[in-house]
This record gives sequence, C-alpha cells and structure tokens, in this order.
Amino acid sequence: MGRRIDLLRVVLLPVTAVLMVVALYLIFVNAPEERVMGAVQKIFYFHVPLAAVTFLSVFVLLAGAMGYLWTRRAAWDHLSIASAEVGLLFCTLVLITGPIWAKPAWGVWWTWEAKLTTTLILWLLLAGILLSRAYASAPEQGARVASVLGVVAALDVPIVYKAVDWWRGQHPIVFGAGKTNPLAPGMLAALLVSMLVFVLLYALLVAARMRLAAQEDRLAALEDAVWRSQ
Amino acid sequence: MSPRSGVPPGFFVTAGIVARKDLRIEGRTKETLSATVLFALVELVVFGFAFDLDTIRRMGPEKIVPGLLWVTLAFAAIVGFTRSFRVERAREALIAVALAPVDRGAVFVGKWLANLALLVVLEAVLLPLTALFFDVNIVATAGPLVVVVLLHTVGLAALGTLFSGVVSRLGRGEALLATLLLPAATPLFLSAVHCTSSALEGAALAADRKWLLLTVGLDILYVLVAILIFDAILED
Repeated sequence: MGRRIDLLRVVLLPVTAVLMVVALYLIFVNAPEERVMGAVQKIFYFHVPLAAVTFLSVFVLLAGAMGYLWTRRAAWDHLSIASAEVGLLFCTLVLITGPIWAKPAWGVWWTWEAKLTTTLILWLLLAGILLSRAYASAPEQGARVASVLGVVAALDVPIVYKAVDWWRGQHPIVFGAGKTNPLAPGMLAALLVSMLVFVLLYALLVAARMRLAAQEDRLAALEDAVWRSQ
Repeated sequence: MSPRSGVPPGFFVTAGIVARKDLRIEGRTKETLSATVLFALVELVVFGFAFDLDTIRRMGPEKIVPGLLWVTLAFAAIVGFTRSFRVERAREALIAVALAPVDRGAVFVGKWLANLALLVVLEAVLLPLTALFFDVNIVATAGPLVVVVLLHTVGLAALGTLFSGVVSRLGRGEALLATLLLPAATPLFLSAVHCTSSALEGAALAADRKWLLLTVGLDILYVLVAILIFDAILED
C-alpha cells in the first residue's frame, strides 16, 4: 500500500504543480472579467472548487469511519483522520473566501443562508471530531470515538443543508436543473481546471496525512517494543 | 421480567432491564431531575432578564418563545445526558455492562428510553413554566404542541445518549457534549423551533407536514445508527 501511494505521489506532485500554474493563467489572464462584479468575481474560481472538495471530504470521512467500524483496520482510520483534517483545512478556506466575496457582492460579510450555515456547521462538526480524538487516552479509543462521530456528522450534513434551506434561502445558484450554462467559455475552462487542481491537491494532502498516520502508528509500536524489552 | 439464569436476555428485554435500572437509580436519588429542572429554571430567569416581557410581547411571543424554550431545553438536557453515564463510570460499572453477554445496541436503547423518560418529565415542568413566565397561552394549542415537543425529544434523546456515551468514554463533561451535540442536532432544533412556533400560532399539524416528516425520519435515523455503532463506544 505504501509503495503505491509513493508512486502516486511521484506522478501526482509534478502534475498538480504544473496544472496549478495553468489554472492561475486561465483564471487571471485568460478568463474574461465579469461585467458587474469585476475582479472580485475571480475568487469564484477558488471558492467553488474549495467548497466542492470540502464536501467530497465528507464522503471520504464517511467511508473511512464506516470502514473502520466495520473492519477495525487501521488504514481506514488513517483515511478518516486524513479526510477530517484536510477537510477542516479546506472548510476553513471556504469560510474565509466566501465572506471576502460576499461583502462586495451582497453587502454583508455573513448571512444565515443554507450553504454558508451548512459549511459553518460542518466546520464545527469536524473540529469536534478532531477535539474528541485528541482527548482520547489511547489511539484505538480515539479511532473508535472519531469513527462514531464521523458517521453521524457525515450523515447529518445533507440533512442540515435541507433543513437550513427550508428555513432560509439566498446563495447564488450558477449551475442548476433547467438552467443553461451562464459562464463564458474562458470562465468555464478556468473553473474546471481549478476544480481539477484542488481535487488533485486534496488527494495529495490526504495521501501524505495517511502516510504520516501510518508512520505514527509504527513509531508508537516501536516505542512500545523498546519499552517492553527494557 | 427476570431472565432465566444462563440464558442471555433478548434485545427488548435487555433494553427494558437497562432502562428500568437507570430509572430506578434516578427514582432513589432524584439527582438528574433535580439538577436539570433547577438548571432549566435558572435559564428561564436569565432569559427573563435578557428579553423583558414587553419586548417579547412587542415582537410576538409565538416568534420568540419557541427559541427560548428549545435553548433552555437543550442545555438542561445536556446536563441530564452527561449524568446518564456518570452513574456507570463512578464505580467502573460500565465494564460490567460491557462484559454482559447482551446486544450492545440494546444497552443503547435502554439508556435512550431512560433519558427520554427523564426529558419528558423535564418538559412537563418546563412547558407550563415557560408559558407562565412569558405570557403564552398553551392550553388552547396543547394538542399539537405536545405532539411537536415529543417528536423532537425522541431524536434529541437518541443523539444525546449516543454522544454522552462518547463524552463519558473520553472522561469529559458538559462542555464537550454541548460542542458535539448542538451542531449535530441543528436540523432537529430548526425543525423544533419552526414547528413549536406554528403550533403556538394555532396552526394545524398538517401545515408543517414536511418538517414533521423530516423529524420522524431523523428520529428513526439517529436511533438506528446509534444501535448499530454503540458497540464501538462500550468496547475497550
């Protein structure tokens, strides 16, 4: 497993780095400036992929947590740690880029609308999971507790979205059923490449965090062995 | 109800035994109820100072009071949930519970039912007091109001019991439970406040059909998920 991830990294890292430069070119040079919002709209190419990857990490968290509860194999828990931590990072970036755009576009930094509220609740859920794991007295206890919380949090997120949506509405819906694509060709290309870059970056970070978790486990096992032999 | 010796009791019998055990302890000590009821009362008084009655009357009690009610209930419930596993932690009795040859899901159901019963008692005190303090007529709308409160209590008790198991395993208290439970229970609280508000306004239950269906769905989801994963909390 370790070697496969290494090979993946050797290929993924340069590809991501090159695509990142391409994405920056497409966003800032190639894509036309939005007529009403102007340069402010450029943050859209970062905000939307970040948000998409944040919610992707919720599915990965669900898979990791359920996999661990089912099999009790450490690799699943490493996936769950990685997706929770990287997910929290991306979620934080979504919550930072959103208000930067919202202030000039809507006139307020924050509004209690479905997507914003759900993202904030998700941030709290992820932070709670990491906090609980840190409180655990043994790594296995942390893994079990984090898995239980991870399953509930991941199942909860779509329901939170629906509930807040019924309660309030107001986020710009760019893509939706029955809507023709409103983006200029240059804009769409920039968004798609940017999306790809963030997904690749997410995969790289998750792979690196999983490797670190596996090494932490090995180190703990070695320390344990040394302690026993003395 | 006592099971034959040597044969582990079935799922529902186990759940009944656990629930009766918790309620019997509570019946003898009355610790949880006195703590939660008093705490809820203090919260109501604090809300009374925070939003004075004139402001509430001006803004419409049906809009403000449901929020006050559910915030009060949520925090008082958290005080109660934290105590749910404290009894077992105190003398390491949780090890005995974990060693018993019974379904762990049934242990969850037992603790959930006990917590649900305590919450219903708390609500029976809290609802009339809230109505009294903030000048709301709940007699006219009692039927729908009771249904709304009970439906949301079922899911809240399930999630609270599951998370209090997590928190007790980590040796933590109310602060961590509140941090974990309140965001996770967001859909329940949104629905609870909305439905309580329309019940107070005198709307029929059918008007909030989609919210009530969501709540019933959440109740079932939380209970089922908890039964399936509670095993991981008792294990050590």
